[in-house]
Formats: sequence, C-alpha cells, structure tokens
Amino acid sequence: MKAAGVVAVIAVAVALQLTLARFTVGSRWAFDLVLVAVVYVALRWGPTAAVMGGSLGGLLQDALAGSTIGVGGLAKTVAGFATGVIGSQFIVTRPLPRMLLVAGATVVARLIVLGLFGVIDGHWPDVSWLAMLAETLLNSLAAFVLFQGSESLPGMLRRGPSRHSSFGKRKW
Amino acid sequence: MIDIRRRTTYFFLLVSLSHVLLISAQVQSKSGMPLLEAIAFGAFSGVQRASAGFADGVASLWGRYIAVHGVVSENVQLRAEITQLQGQLQQRDAIAAQAHSLEVLLHLQQSVAQRTLAARVIAGDPAPGSLVITIDRGTDDGLRADLGVFTVGGIVGRVIGQPLPHAARVQLLTGRGAGVGAVLEQANAAGTVQGGGDTPPLRMLYVQNSYDVKVGERVLTSGQDGIFPSGFVIGSVTQAERGSTMYRLIAVRPSVNFAHLDVVLVLLDAPPSGAGSAIGAEK
Repeated sequence: MKAAGVVAVIAVAVALQLTLARFTVGSRWAFDLVLVAVVYVALRWGPTAAVMGGSLGGLLQDALAGSTIGVGGLAKTVAGFATGVIGSQFIVTRPLPRMLLVAGATVVARLIVLGLFGVIDGHWPDVSWLAMLAETLLNSLAAFVLFQGSESLPGMLRRGPSRHSSFGKRKW
Repeated sequence: MIDIRRRTTYFFLLVSLSHVLLISAQVQSKSGMPLLEAIAFGAFSGVQRASAGFADGVASLWGRYIAVHGVVSENVQLRAEITQLQGQLQQRDAIAAQAHSLEVLLHLQQSVAQRTLAARVIAGDPAPGSLVITIDRGTDDGLRADLGVFTVGGIVGRVIGQPLPHAARVQLLTGRGAGVGAVLEQANAAGTVQGGGDTPPLRMLYVQNSYDVKVGERVLTSGQDGIFPSGFVIGSVTQAERGSTMYRLIAVRPSVNFAHLDVVLVLLDAPPSGAGSAIGAEK
C-alpha cells in the first residue's frame, strides 16, 4: 500500500511537471514538482519510502530528459533520504519548517546534479544562482500548496458540500 | 528501532551505489536509447498528449473568454504591424525575384527546398535545466534523430534520441551539450555556437581574434553540421571580446524566445552534404 502510494505520488508529480513546465521553458522560473513530491513522501512515509520515491522520480526525469540516467536519481535519493531522516528526528508539521525543508532539499539536489555534471564534463557548469533561488522559492510555494491541500482535503470531503450552497435546498 | 534505521541506511547506500554504477556505465559507453529511457518516454508521451490537450483547453478558455482586456488596442497595433509586414514582404519578393533572375543568369544550381512539418509542443522540461521539450510528431510522421527544429524566429534545436510513433524529444539550442555550425553575417567568420551556458545562454567558439566582430551582428547557420541548411538565424552577438587564446569570446543572444514555444517546424530532410564553404568540421 505504501509502495503503491509512493509510485502514485511520483507518477502524478512527473505528469504535472511535464504539463506545467511547458509554460516556463527557457525562462528563469524553473521548478521541480518531483522533488516536492519526494519530500512529501519522506515526511509522510519515512526515509525508506523517500529513497524509493527519490530514486524512481529522479530516474524517470533523467530518462525523459534524455540526459545521463542516474544523475537526477542519485540527487533525489540523497535529498529524499536526508529529508526523511530529518522528518523522523524532528517534528515537522507546521508549514514554515516544511517549506524550509523543501528549500534545503532543492539546493542539495541541485548542487549534487551540478557536481555530477561537473565530474562528467570535466569542468564546473555555469550556475545561475538566480535561477536556483527562483526554483527554491517556487518549490517551497508548491510544497505549501501540496501539504496544506493534502491535509485539508480529507476534512473537506468528510464535511461534504455546504448546506447553504444549493438554491434547490433553500426553503423560501 | 536501531535495526530499522540501519536497514534504511543500507537501503539508501545500496540505491545510491546503483545510481553511481548506472551513471558510470553510461559515461563510458553511451549508445542508442537505454531501455529505461524508452519505457519511461513511451509511457509518459501519452499522458503528456492528454495533459497538454487539457492545459491548452483551459488556456484557450481563459484567453478567449476571460482575459480579453486590451484586445481592442492590441488589434489596432496588430493591424499596423500587418501593414508594415506586407510592405516588407513586397520588398523581399522584389529582392527574391532579382536574386532568382541572377541565379538563372549565372546558371547556378537552384537550392533544394526542404520539407518541413509543423509540430505542437506537448511537454516541457522533465527536470529543471534539462532544456528538452516534447513534440507531438514521431516516426509515423517521418521524424528521426538529429533532424533540425526551428520556428519563425530562428533555430530551436534538434530531435534527440529515437522518436516514438507520435512523439519526439527536442533538445533546445540553449541546452547542455547542444551546438550548431555557425557563421557571422558581416564578418563572414565561421565557428560553432554552443549552448549550456547561463549568461550568456549561447557562445560562439573558434572565431579568430583577427576577425572584426560587431555587437548586434547576426549569427546564421553555416550548413556544415549536417542538421541545418545555411542561412537560418541563430541569434545576434551581444558581446565580442578578444580572447587570451587565438579565439574571440563571443556571447550570442538566441533569436527565438524559448519561453513561448507552442508550435515548431521540423526539417524532414538533412541538408545536402558539402554545402557551404571553408568551415571547420566541428559538429
């Protein structure tokens, strides 16, 4: 059940990433919804699930990007494991610590990717710190929406539609 | 509790090691499309097609019926631009007619018009910074690896990997490892334009210091890379400094706005080999 949940969360994140990234190709506003999903998995199901999710999500992204397979996978595995360990050691339930965790994971994952490409290419790639900052901000924002949404959705569904929302039920 | 933590750590180390081995294997010998790549690309291209259709529908609804503020003034502006463009088109027709008559007079071989195919962009960067897009055309439409992709503004990139029947990936010119044979329009110096940078996104390499390169000068394809025919616009020079080696440091701004790619054209034929002049064999 946990494995199926991880796979589902990662698959939805990859599909969303591909759809939404169409509108930001070539611009500085990059984001990584798969990484956000990996942090979500880490905080919800722990470090083992995060390693699995990070590995799966990163490999899928690498395969779809046509780049060296494993670079993104390793970066997200490390980021997922780290956030999973932190999540199991500390209480990370409030929005701000969660957003900070996503921000940290973004920077760690990005630096690992850059470092690996540096090793592969033999020189340190050009780094846009502004783009990294933008990605960190957008990922944190996406995390806020995801975490808040995932927490409030079950309650909303349980309560059902508002009694005052329908004209049909109103007695005049 | 300690056991579980240990097991998790071992699992993490095992997975990380697998990734490192995977990367090492590819860096040593990268040929063809790996199995994982083919499976992932195949599975998600269908999802991309559906999600792009849905996103386009929502965007169309928003653009056509809700966000119509400023449409009247935009129409006026567009009409003025059309008039201006019609004038320019007439001028170009006249120039083309002159060139054609000169060509006939000089018994020059007519250049071969290349077949193109319009394709819709259905997905963006799978990972930030990968600069790869997915288009809705594939092998069923005659696409194969290394075909050139362009738009009205200029060069977009090339098809990478083996396309699927109805989808293909395009590496943008600004992507890591992308390159195209180029020539400076005025200085007539040949070189290679490479992507992968941040500021500037493109660099022109192998132009000797002895050439007088001006800022604003257009950079065109040289036709020597076997992907693009000569004369396509790549971008314009934004910086040209004397380098410490024998080559100039030239920064190029791409003419295409990659942030607004919706429909692109794919060149279905490779350019005739041997076209162009004394340009190096850089690919």
